[in-house]
Amino acid sequence: MLETLNDKLYLNFIKDDRYMYLVNGFITTIKIAFFAILVGLALGFTVAIIRSAYDMNSEQRRKGLSSALLSVANGICKLYLTVLRGTPVVLQLLIIYFVIFADINVNKTFAAICAFGLNSAAYVAEIVRGGIMSIDKGQLEAGRSLGFSYARTMIYIILPQAVKNVLPALGNEFIVLIKETSVAGYIAIEDLTKGGDIIRSRTYDAFFPLITAGLIYLAVVLVLSKGISILERRLRTGER
Amino acid sequence: MSADTIIKVKNLQKVFGKDEKMQTKALDNVNIEINRGDVVVVVGPSGSGKSTFLRCLNLLEMPTGGTITFEGTDITDPKNNINKQRMKMGMVFQQFNLFPHMTILRNLTIGPTKLLRQSKAEAEKTAIELLERVGLADRAQSYPNQLSGGQKQRIAIVRALCMKPDVMLFDEPTSALDPEMVGEVLDVMKDLARQNMTMVCVTHEMGFAREVGNRVIFMESGRILEENTPEEFFENPKNPRLKEFLDKIL
Amino acid sequence: MKKFRTLTAVVLASFMAFQMAGCGGTSEQPADDSAAAEENADGTEAENTEGKLVWATNAEFEPYEYREGGEIVGIDADIAAHIADELGLELEVADMNFDSIVPAVVSGKADVGIAGMTITDDRLENVNFSTPYVDAAQAIIVPEDSDVATEEDLAGLTIGVQLGTTGDLYVTDIDGVTVERYTKGFEAVQALTQGKIDAVVIDNEPAKAFVDLNDGIKISNDALTTEQYAIAISKDNPELLDNVNMILSDMEADGSLQAIFEKYLGSVEVNAQ
Repeated sequence: MLETLNDKLYLNFIKDDRYMYLVNGFITTIKIAFFAILVGLALGFTVAIIRSAYDMNSEQRRKGLSSALLSVANGICKLYLTVLRGTPVVLQLLIIYFVIFADINVNKTFAAICAFGLNSAAYVAEIVRGGIMSIDKGQLEAGRSLGFSYARTMIYIILPQAVKNVLPALGNEFIVLIKETSVAGYIAIEDLTKGGDIIRSRTYDAFFPLITAGLIYLAVVLVLSKGISILERRLRTGER
Repeated sequence: MSADTIIKVKNLQKVFGKDEKMQTKALDNVNIEINRGDVVVVVGPSGSGKSTFLRCLNLLEMPTGGTITFEGTDITDPKNNINKQRMKMGMVFQQFNLFPHMTILRNLTIGPTKLLRQSKAEAEKTAIELLERVGLADRAQSYPNQLSGGQKQRIAIVRALCMKPDVMLFDEPTSALDPEMVGEVLDVMKDLARQNMTMVCVTHEMGFAREVGNRVIFMESGRILEENTPEEFFENPKNPRLKEFLDKIL
Repeated sequence: MKKFRTLTAVVLASFMAFQMAGCGGTSEQPADDSAAAEENADGTEAENTEGKLVWATNAEFEPYEYREGGEIVGIDADIAAHIADELGLELEVADMNFDSIVPAVVSGKADVGIAGMTITDDRLENVNFSTPYVDAAQAIIVPEDSDVATEEDLAGLTIGVQLGTTGDLYVTDIDGVTVERYTKGFEAVQALTQGKIDAVVIDNEPAKAFVDLNDGIKISNDALTTEQYAIAISKDNPELLDNVNMILSDMEADGSLQAIFEKYLGSVEVNAQ
């Protein structure tokens, strides 16, 4: 039995350096997930701020150019959220690679970062907007009454509190994102899942390559969860 | 406008609601001039528009009509950047609205350092001095949630004072406090009045109005129905609605 | 395909044993079912599903198997139908990714894999193959203005293939080639037409179909390799293998195999074993 195990390990990982499919796949997965998270955060926060600026000030706003611009921006954001949250990420990936970048010879990893980043941003935006809305209106008024602009009130006062409140939800979104990158193989990216799949297509053994890939995902997710809970604890100190 | 008029309110109107049929008039043609050193106390039944009036003064509520001139600038002009005037108008809220994610010291210095470009040391020096004046210097490193209501409100007053404002606006500053804490907050406000701070204060504390105010205003249904010195206001009210109101609460 | 070193039969046997032991109940099922099915009145070898012949394929491989109005048609489809007919079984198609076909046959999820599948050493370690029913080759598809035509030309280029196909295995072994492995052959071709890759290596008949369907690409080499397509059958089912081989030789003898190829390809020379 032990010999069998050795043979299978040899066949799946050692022979023809097959473990490199997993190593390279892991690096690719991390690269895509990391940059997609950055894109998701940057864009997600922007959308969340536009959306909540529109919602919060609807009663107060004076008519004028900036108000009209905000309305238009809010409309665009809403459309973006509806479309990105209403369609599967695999389709978005295929559309970005085969339709939007159809005639541009774009780096596939870049296309994947765009797809997963844009998709994640939609969820981040709604999470953050929920966090902003959960902050008492008095905080905004206190910031504004000191003389801070809306943007600076957001940065110094509202967002730090909002982010702390939504950190668990954001962490969850990152975890979902990391796992979602497993469909990158649809555009022939050799990520972790595809790496396992390539080994499987060579050895016709599903167990070892797929379980190993699964364990690697699990390890990444555990590390990320741990990191987020440490961050959460750090942010909570002092508040009581 | 006389030389020491600090706020001039003309024909101020505020209508809530966009739908014509659902609209309510919160402020109806309010006119008043507030001079430097005035302590104006605004009283009236709830829903009379007194809080809305106060919040219009620094545009936390956007007026739907009329003008407000602050230190010679029409702040209701759409081209005006209100943030500049707000730095000169300290505001104290019923619910304190301290920033819970910052220490007390940071609550007090964030405005001066970010808005007035004071150095950290300079801002902290001012903050500590003011904290000492309200007897809370030992709480500089605490967080708001570690304080009692009365302490929070005193900090909120200090936060506004750290900006070195020309006028202080108080929106029912003692209404959310337990009765035994009202005194400590009123003491701070009285102290301010003695130092000639211009104040506009919406309150239910008639004792404060009588003792500290130099002008008392009665509002109902979005209008100023009577304005007088505290003595005349309480001893010799003219408006029948005011008489009724005073009978109920005194 | 010689570069793929063979593992010993011992390894293979223990591999299978592990699979059995590791997977428990599900793997034992085919054995139980076929035992039960053998008692069927019609005397044929019914497989893992009673009265059905489950055919694993990847219906993205014109003209061997592809979809036409929801139906899976093609050379392999007709062969599969013929075999099922001869066995007195109902044909049930299981359309899956190409790289899943061998595992499906190994695990008993499918009875036969007919998918323009080339006999390779690695596959032989996992499944039995019937006698080959046609000769095939790998072809290179390139943009019309490209000079790439030989294995040497491929070095340094980015080549699209379908995951797990002989084209994939072949290209992977060329030094200096960047391989992009798509799940579907047409996606590789689409990447080529969009200029994202330099060439596609895929079986010659589907290559012809792709070139017919898309402007601006051509086949620059249709004999990169020589290989033979055959039917994959589980090693646990030697009776089915015998029956299929018998049926294939009958089809060859009576011209029905030739007729199927002519139906889809015009006239061709079918491999005579």
